[in-house]
Amino acid sequence: MKTMQLTVNGKAHTVHYDDKTMLIDILRDKLDLTGTKNGCGHGACGACTVIMNGEAVRSCIIKAAKAEGKEILTIEGICEGNKLHPIQEAFIQAGAIQCGFCTAGYIMTLHALFTKSPDATDEEIKKVLEKHLCRCTGYETIWEGAKLARRMMKEKITL
Amino acid sequence: MDLQCIGKSILRTDAYDKVTGKAQFVADIKLPRMLYARILRAEYAHAKILSIDTSEAEKMPGVMKVVTAQGCDILFGACIKDQPPLATDKVRHAGEGVAAVIAETERQAEEATKKIKVNYEPLPYVIDPLEAIAEGAPIIHERNHEYFRVPGFPPVKGTNIFHHYKLRKGDIEKGFKEAEITVEENFYYPLLSHVQMEPHGCISYWDSPESVRIIASTQAPFIVREIVAQMFHIPMANIKVEALYLGGGFGGKSDVVIEPMCAYISRFVPGYPVKLILTRKEAFTSSLVGRGMRGKIKVGAKKDGKLVAIEASLYYADGAYGDTGCNVVTASGFVATGPYEYEHCKIDCYGVYTNTPPVGAYRGYGHPEAQFMSERIMNILAEKLGMSQQELMRKNFLCDGKVNAIGQIIRPGNGNLYKCLDEVEQALYEVPKPQEDENFVYGRGLAAFMKTPMMIPHASSGAILRMCEDGSFNISISGIEMGQGCQTVLSQIAAETLKVPLEKIHISKHVDTQHSPYEWQTVGSITTYRAGNAIIQACEKAIQKMLETVAAIYHRHIGDLKYEGEFITSKSDLNLRFETKKLAQAYLSPDGHGVGEQIVTGGSYLIRNVQFPHPETGQGNCAGTWTFACEGAEVKINKHTGDVDITHLAVAIDLGRTLNPSLARIQMIGGMMMGYGATLTEELIFDDRGKIKNANLNQYKIPKLSQMPEKFTVKFVETPDEAGPFGARCIAEHPVIGIPPAVLNAIKDATGVDLFEIPVKAKVLLEKMGGKK
Ligand code: FES
Ligand code: FES
Repeated sequence: MKTMQLTVNGKAHTVHYDDKTMLIDILRDKLDLTGTKNGCGHGACGACTVIMNGEAVRSCIIKAAKAEGKEILTIEGICEGNKLHPIQEAFIQAGAIQCGFCTAGYIMTLHALFTKSPDATDEEIKKVLEKHLCRCTGYETIWEGAKLARRMMKEKITL
Repeated sequence: MDLQCIGKSILRTDAYDKVTGKAQFVADIKLPRMLYARILRAEYAHAKILSIDTSEAEKMPGVMKVVTAQGCDILFGACIKDQPPLATDKVRHAGEGVAAVIAETERQAEEATKKIKVNYEPLPYVIDPLEAIAEGAPIIHERNHEYFRVPGFPPVKGTNIFHHYKLRKGDIEKGFKEAEITVEENFYYPLLSHVQMEPHGCISYWDSPESVRIIASTQAPFIVREIVAQMFHIPMANIKVEALYLGGGFGGKSDVVIEPMCAYISRFVPGYPVKLILTRKEAFTSSLVGRGMRGKIKVGAKKDGKLVAIEASLYYADGAYGDTGCNVVTASGFVATGPYEYEHCKIDCYGVYTNTPPVGAYRGYGHPEAQFMSERIMNILAEKLGMSQQELMRKNFLCDGKVNAIGQIIRPGNGNLYKCLDEVEQALYEVPKPQEDENFVYGRGLAAFMKTPMMIPHASSGAILRMCEDGSFNISISGIEMGQGCQTVLSQIAAETLKVPLEKIHISKHVDTQHSPYEWQTVGSITTYRAGNAIIQACEKAIQKMLETVAAIYHRHIGDLKYEGEFITSKSDLNLRFETKKLAQAYLSPDGHGVGEQIVTGGSYLIRNVQFPHPETGQGNCAGTWTFACEGAEVKINKHTGDVDITHLAVAIDLGRTLNPSLARIQMIGGMMMGYGATLTEELIFDDRGKIKNANLNQYKIPKLSQMPEKFTVKFVETPDEAGPFGARCIAEHPVIGIPPAVLNAIKDATGVDLFEIPVKAKVLLEKMGGKK
């Protein structure tokens, strides 16, 4: 076991890991941040997406060692107290949720995108959403939710 | 009726939990002293187990126990008891559990499974149902005919057939003699994985030899309770099965899946919770799969298009164990005709053991397989008759007074197929079809279908209502929230009945068999219907109780009082305006004594008079309620590659009453996209050793966002159901059913090519298109 430091949702943590530990294991098992979901464990579904130094990454295929010293943001870290982030609001308003297992992954992906490019084009949005799987919704409302989120973030609309 | 809540697009009541990551799923639960299990899986599709050596594994770090089922005589199942908790004398599919390691960490358990040595004698295996019933096929269950089973699931001794449902109406020979035109075709619907985004999980914890707590990703906590009680001969009351949020179910978490195995292995480490979460690979190879049908259909009609006779045989590759598939087989027989009247029917549906993971419920429950055939054959027959498919459909639709295959007389309250077809027709044909161009041909296709929730005759739903002192209500039900939105819709039903704002209703989020009311299982799209009615009943009883108490307080006749939600008023005394919340506990009168009792009520609902099918004719009042719908598709086909692009999917469903339009719409679209996947991309593929080759999400392809058609049409026809809550019907599984035949009919329209198998392969289509030129 090795030891390292990383920052998760603004808080510094020291964690133990070995060669086989993945970032998702640190988040879910060691830090009890279970909002990040494991849908496949092989990088194909996006349910485990978190933000690492500003980039959306799939925590199930990121070796723990890669996260050393990094700033990680998870679904638990994007609200301010009880106030939802505009992307969360947009997903609720657009009805972009069914079982909710894929939801956090989508929200984190969009968070990374809109933080970097608040004016992301429809095509850019589609490109990031394409890397996620949702079995329930048929995608229509996720697509609507993503566009609403862009507008709400930009215009700082709160509900 | 002036409705406040019903019919409104209320936002989901579980949305906050889900956008914040707070919604809990089984994998998120950690308990003190928790241990972790991993399972050694069979590498063979069919093999005798000669020996298992666990000694090395036992010495591995962190290992608490290595469990096998050697010497275990437990066989479980609700209808057919044919399955052991882990393989005993042989393995019947690749991926079957052979041994379990319980260790302090998941990794330690995983490492130790690699040290278990199993000596196998491989046996010939069979995947295809027709090969499995052929002479000389390997027999998968030698004791097929000896297993305990409830009546209605007759096996054929010495074969792999564990269930034969037969349906007979009229006189089939006479029918085909009367027919002037006959068409006959063979069809194939492959094995599919449900791909719920949440893989299956279970935590099991024996706190005494007589009592166990199970937290599972299940649609059926009360079935888990029943099976576990039978397996270990313990009182049901001692078993606490908890279900949290479910990350998708689609039938693949109904009945029992990994829970019996988990309960079995954890019994070896009493006092420790044992957690087992399947990997995605295991969700493919070692949970339930769906469909897998080879069928033959022959229909006869008069020249004017009147259908007269149908003969169909459906063979289901039901996998290694039959219990979860047997009722799917029967259900498909009920609807093999499609939503049309035939005077003469001969339908045979067979459940066949094969060497794949067991088949279970899969969104649609036999209805998609059967109506894939019926709706393609209507298209083919129409062509032969020289009439449009719509005309043929309209001539024969089930409607008021018509008699379906199982002998039920259809009532207007069952819904209106004509209106559904009108809507889809309009959506598809309102603009002319694009002209064939250099690269593409275009086509449009239709399908109609019907669906009934398959169930045991006494399948019921319960509800418990408790009023709080501030006038809000706790309502417990045991319908599982797996994405379909039952929590939201049931809140609407309760708020409407109690005449209080939605915020005053709290529907239980989690189910616990020791505290929640009985619910058969969350299947058949029937939660809104059945639990909704149970809630209405509980609410009405609560209202009655409140009125009685107020009548006693004021010494008035109950008929003089009016319940208005937050107040009870009097018709004769305008000054009487009693705050109902004061009744939650027994009422404290101004002179200081208690009147009445707590407002705690229960409701329970079952659809009356549902029967098991007659053993000889297969007929009877076996369907409790029906939903009718039509679907349509537009396709654009690349003439050079054969690639099919679905550009428009349409559904019109007679849902009785739209309780929540936006939730109903998303359910329709999600279902149509699942049908899209089955039509174009999804299929379990087996290698030459009988193992699933594409047990991952890169190779088993479910639809992605970019595959969304340019257009969805979702239309609701509202012919109220006589018994449904506020007139509503079952709708959740339905949209998946008609998509494959509608798309294949559209491909036919575009190319002239008749296809009989899904998923559609571009290469095959291209080849056949070439042949047509
Ligand atoms: S869980 Fe990481 S991509 Fe699926
Ligand atoms: S909402 Fe269930 S997987 Fe997306």
